[in-house]
Amino acid sequence: MDNASFIIQQLINAIFLGSIYSLIALGYTMVYGIIELINFAHGELFTAGAFIGIIVLAALQNMGFVETHFVLTLILVFGMAMAYVAVLGVAIEHVAYKPLRKASRLAAILSALGMSIFLSNGMMLSQGVSDRAYPAIFGLKGFSILDARIAYGQIFIIILSLVLMVALNMFVNWTKLGKAMRATAQNQTMARMLGIDIDRTIRVTFMIGPALGAAAGVMVGMYYGSVRFDMGFIYMIKAFAAAILGGIGSIPGAVLGGIIIGGVEVLWSAFLPSEWKDVTTFVVLILVLYLRPSGILGEHVSESRV
Amino acid sequence: MKKVGILMLCLMMVMGFHGTVLAKTLKIGTLSPLTGPYAQDGTDILQGAKTAVAVFEKAGGVPGYDKIEVIPGDSACDGGKATMAANKLINSGVSGVVGAYCSSATIPASVPLNQANIIQITPASTHTDVTARGFKQIFRMPPRDDVQAWSTVKFLEDGLKIKTLALIDDRQTYTVGLTENITKFAKENNKIKIVALEHITPADKDFTAVLTKLKKLNPDVIYMGVYQPEGSLMVRQAKALGIKAKMLSEDAVFHPKFIEVGGKAAEGTFLTFAKAPDTPERKDFEKTYMEMWKVETVGSYGYYAYDAAMILLEAIKKAGTTDTDKVVDVLRGTAWNGVTGEIKFDEKGDRKLAHIIWIVKDGKFVPYWDPLTEKYF
Amino acid sequence: MAKSDVKKFIIYSLFLGILILPMVGFPGRSFEAARAFTIWGGIVGILAIWLLNKTIRHSDMYLRTSAHLAPFRNTVLRKFSKLPTRHYILLLLIVVGSFPLLANNYMIDVGITCLIYIVLGLGLNIVVGLAGLLDLGYIAFYAVGAYSYSLLNLHFGISFWLSLPIGIVIGAICGCIIGYPTLRMRGDYLAIVTMGFGEIIRLVLNNWDKLTKGPNGLLGMSKPEVVYPAFSKGGFEWVVYSLNSLHALYYLMFIIAILTVIGVRRLDNSRIGRAWVAIREDEVAAELSGVPTTWLKLLAYAMGAAFASVVGAFFAAKLSYTNPNFFIFMESCIVLCIVVLGGVGSIPGVILAGIILIAVPEVFRELQDYRMLAFGLAMAVMMVLRPEGLIPATRRKQELHEADQSSPED
Repeated sequence: MDNASFIIQQLINAIFLGSIYSLIALGYTMVYGIIELINFAHGELFTAGAFIGIIVLAALQNMGFVETHFVLTLILVFGMAMAYVAVLGVAIEHVAYKPLRKASRLAAILSALGMSIFLSNGMMLSQGVSDRAYPAIFGLKGFSILDARIAYGQIFIIILSLVLMVALNMFVNWTKLGKAMRATAQNQTMARMLGIDIDRTIRVTFMIGPALGAAAGVMVGMYYGSVRFDMGFIYMIKAFAAAILGGIGSIPGAVLGGIIIGGVEVLWSAFLPSEWKDVTTFVVLILVLYLRPSGILGEHVSESRV
Repeated sequence: MKKVGILMLCLMMVMGFHGTVLAKTLKIGTLSPLTGPYAQDGTDILQGAKTAVAVFEKAGGVPGYDKIEVIPGDSACDGGKATMAANKLINSGVSGVVGAYCSSATIPASVPLNQANIIQITPASTHTDVTARGFKQIFRMPPRDDVQAWSTVKFLEDGLKIKTLALIDDRQTYTVGLTENITKFAKENNKIKIVALEHITPADKDFTAVLTKLKKLNPDVIYMGVYQPEGSLMVRQAKALGIKAKMLSEDAVFHPKFIEVGGKAAEGTFLTFAKAPDTPERKDFEKTYMEMWKVETVGSYGYYAYDAAMILLEAIKKAGTTDTDKVVDVLRGTAWNGVTGEIKFDEKGDRKLAHIIWIVKDGKFVPYWDPLTEKYF
Repeated sequence: MAKSDVKKFIIYSLFLGILILPMVGFPGRSFEAARAFTIWGGIVGILAIWLLNKTIRHSDMYLRTSAHLAPFRNTVLRKFSKLPTRHYILLLLIVVGSFPLLANNYMIDVGITCLIYIVLGLGLNIVVGLAGLLDLGYIAFYAVGAYSYSLLNLHFGISFWLSLPIGIVIGAICGCIIGYPTLRMRGDYLAIVTMGFGEIIRLVLNNWDKLTKGPNGLLGMSKPEVVYPAFSKGGFEWVVYSLNSLHALYYLMFIIAILTVIGVRRLDNSRIGRAWVAIREDEVAAELSGVPTTWLKLLAYAMGAAFASVVGAFFAAKLSYTNPNFFIFMESCIVLCIVVLGGVGSIPGVILAGIILIAVPEVFRELQDYRMLAFGLAMAVMMVLRPEGLIPATRRKQELHEADQSSPED
């Protein structure tokens, strides 16, 4: 493997990992932007999506549906996982976050942490402690650029991520509901005065954000090949870092943040001692927050949030 | 309503504290992580011990006891929780303990067990320190880290006859013990060049950065010092990256799940693991275990835990007492036949057991090479 | 039974069905109807009981009976609240002090763990409760204490007592190092940065093989020793007694806990404590009134870290073993839970929450699979129903209920 293909391969690795982080960070940034709460349960919603994906996929495979209707299978798997997690997201919001909207920040964080522990253990009890193998539908086939390899599954995932990101951006910027969301995120009191139904807006946010996370969960399961009840936590931390890095509430920011976190991780491992990879991620995060608290693409951040 | 609930709760707590004993019961404890990321292996250990008790009771049990009870302890792979669980077992009057799993839990838990003079047989911890502290009543079923590393290096030097090796570990107590010892042996013998020592984070899913780095160095063999979930993902990603090097791993990866998740990419992976004697006892055990727990395969630590519980019970039966010193003498002085082969302990409490090399072939683990005889199977 | 309640009940049940049936029903490839419907049915049953309970509570009969009982209940409550606080404290001290004489080793070990977490909670309470700085990496200072004692003892043979002040200084310095870059941050940014620092310290301990032996952990630290005078034939001599037994360790931890409670209480009522509260309430106003906010924030981190460092050293001495994977993020979360569950800023609250979070799950070890599930749910429910904590600090309670109090008293 020559130097050129080594670098190309590492860039591919970075972009792929980054695009998954971005997709989770997108859901995160929306939820955080609108209710200013570290949604610790976001990682578990992501895992729940992956589990529903596996359940639907296995059922379809049993019926012999996958071979005959491949595209429809994909739509069904992603659609059902996203729908399920959207319902779950709304349910969590209704039970654990809504009553705390006026309470102290700490109470809300603790409630979120409690929900995260609850969901993760619930999934452990219902889906087992060991990892579940994802039915292979992409395989490991791919093509080469020089000596660097890209799997078809990776291409599919990157394209799907891009589609979801663009769709979300259009939704937030151009639709009435999206505008209501942005208004609520900026100033809840003002938005209420202008006649925006805050409860409904937050509910919609809690459907879209987790649904994006669920899509990412299915992608991770499909590409890497396994799902386990506790896999959400590490992704949640990385996605949160990405969301803050890019600037909370900013959709291009979350994408950029995800790519940067993925890039730092991969490139550090590629050229420097790999045991310090996670330390580097955190150091980068702390430095950015110290030097530019609003994140890279964040607009002016209100005093109370910094 | 609330008060009734509280009353019920109190009652339940009282009942929990007083496990009233009517019949004379022999108690043995298990220590293993029943919660957290290693809960799978921890559950295998508990189930293995329970299977042993069921089989043993069916065969007549221990004279003088009506019943044998297994008391589970959750060590959670954490020092503080492990000592609490160990103290709990001591207080419930166990005659012996099977456990724990992580060396970082076994070492702290062994201190109160040693003070209370209760036999401890670990079915999983391989760190050298576990038996190196002069405790008389501690025994170990699997081979030590340095023994496993020795088998590994021997296989690489004399079996595969390779020149270059790259190591990956996930910087946990177990895996670092292995890679450190492999490095040591390889340097001593000076036949193999170690071209890289890379590290990953446990519970990560993407290892392509490190694997690409190794692809560039192009070693003959890549050693994966990781646990099964990471191992399965790693062989898949190595295949997707088109890595030609042979993959070699250790007993923490030796689990049916490795093949289930790894799929075709797991084919051809070498693993160091205990010899599986082709005996009717082993087959019977597998059958009983699968029926009892309604599973399709037996987790690898289930075998060790079964053997550990079995020899503990046999030794108590043979000694005719639960007096620790006498049972320890019996355990030490006897050669046992278990489902993991012959069990004979040395002064430290370690078994004279060396791993053999296995290979994944057609979706199954198949014995491949024996480092003691240097022969292929 | 109100109509809206029934409607709500039906909607909730349906939603629960959507959420539970697929997740629980497919542990493998086939749908296990019995398992799924049993669990769903069970939860709907609990909901139904709750609905029934609510209906009864609103019925005339119940209201009339409870009105009859009210005077009686009030008398009992008044009788209890008449006792001065110091009686309660004395009672608590007697119970906690005599606990090891009645309990077995397991209970004592659980007791020690409770005390450890209570001291950690009290230390974090300085940072979170008094100064209002959210810290998600607190367990790192516990690790620093454990490792400073271990290294000092193993390499230089320094005794437990001598290494305590050194450990406190190292802990406080680490606190300041973490505190400095976060001075300008507040709220959630602070949370993520402290979490990052906590992970960095753990990873450094795990990766710095030469100093800490990495994941192998450090082994063989000596137990704390006490020296006491004894009169023998030759006259007077000093006897060295090593605190090996669980009883001795329990009493040592008990003393540490009492000293911590006294220390935190003094801090709370001091000028510094009031300045911290001022910062928590309004940093800009505090600074304008001449409170040196920078120094006080650093001091809060340093003080919190010092307490964690002391118990860290105790923990390492108790186990004679330490390993970086004892100090994971989840531990920080548990300590934070103790603080918040007990009531931010409230000392009795932290003590109660420490007992509840550490000892009660131990009692339910038989139900280990469901233990953490209940733990998580209890945490969320608790925050929703009683965000001010089990025993709210008086000052804090007034803040949270300012709206429904017509005349706040102080």
